[in-house]
Amino acid sequence: MAATAERTDAQVVRDVLAGDRDAYRLLVRRYGDVLYAHALRMAGSQDEAADLVQRAFISGYRKLASLRDTERVGAWLFRILSNLSKDHLRSPRRGDVSVERLPQLPEGRADPLEAVHQREVRARLHLAMDQLTPEQREAFMLKHVEGRSYEEMAATLDVSVASLKMRVHRAREALQGLLEGFR
Amino acid sequence: MKDELHRLLDGEAPAAGLSDEARREAESWDRLLAAFRVEAPPASAPPWLESRIMAEIESLPEPGLPGRIRNWLLSPRPVRVSPLTVGLAAAGLTAILLVGRGEPGAWPLPAGGGGSAALASGGGGDPAASVVYVQFALEAPGASSVAVTGDFDAWEGSHALEDLDGDGVWSGRVPVRPGVHAYMFVVDGSSWRTDPRAERYADDGFGNRNAILAVAAPTI
Repeated sequence: MAATAERTDAQVVRDVLAGDRDAYRLLVRRYGDVLYAHALRMAGSQDEAADLVQRAFISGYRKLASLRDTERVGAWLFRILSNLSKDHLRSPRRGDVSVERLPQLPEGRADPLEAVHQREVRARLHLAMDQLTPEQREAFMLKHVEGRSYEEMAATLDVSVASLKMRVHRAREALQGLLEGFR
Repeated sequence: MKDELHRLLDGEAPAAGLSDEARREAESWDRLLAAFRVEAPPASAPPWLESRIMAEIESLPEPGLPGRIRNWLLSPRPVRVSPLTVGLAAAGLTAILLVGRGEPGAWPLPAGGGGSAALASGGGGDPAASVVYVQFALEAPGASSVAVTGDFDAWEGSHALEDLDGDGVWSGRVPVRPGVHAYMFVVDGSSWRTDPRAERYADDGFGNRNAILAVAAPTI
């Protein structure tokens, strides 16, 4: 989705609340990719990620009138997605990780043995991530995969830096045990 | 894991002062984190997602002024009245009922509850079949949804609360039949919370406590 930077977020929110429903499209364009990337890392499948992002934007639209800091609508939408993603991970309807369900990566090496090994490694990584709590998984992904600072994470998630550090530390310790021999 | 390794991975300490063991661990973590980044590369939303979202938006009521007016009309809010006003209103209502029907009037009166479950109003007719509207509220800043559920709705969690002004306090009115009821709040669809301001509690048999709400039967 291409970014559109003509109006500020606060102006867009004001326009939507004044009845310009289509202005909401600008927010979808501005934050759709960021939300989708995060949802994909949390959910693991493209279909589930798209569904989570859609639900986050719809929930945001419904509750838009309750938003106070309209300049920070992006962080607000991210928090909605964060809560939905964590709920999704806790859902008993969510299936276990299997090699068949792993998201596709671009084709690389042609060596079939190497391909089998890669699939096993990928399955182990996904299985290990599934053992973390949703909060640990989110904090670990934001810190080490998305490369955000603790301060950025705290501002976005409205959680203290100390709590986020604790989640990341616990995630590392859990992964250390789960992936012993792989590292 | 050692603290020095956590500090290094947190970006708060240089690798220069690490012990040999910690340095080997750090290199091992570098490989692992690189594998995670390969596994979860940057991704763009699929191009069809925007139109799918906007199609659903088109079918929703506006969240702006009409939505705010609708919410204002439909949402419960505390009303402050003086005891004198209540007394005069009750006397006037009783007089109207006595004159109009020739018999004592019957209005369900809420009682008990307390905490964040405040009793508000009731429906007329057969007292056994009447309901009392109970105002539930829970402070849950950052939540995306809060519902209240209990034996009054067979624990189905069908009563969603709202945080219309975004202050983190979720509230809503729920019809409840007279009697003693156990209830809980459900935050973000799965996190069960006991009402911290209930007047009474009871073990639920699963290691948690249910809040208890007493609703008086309407008097005739």
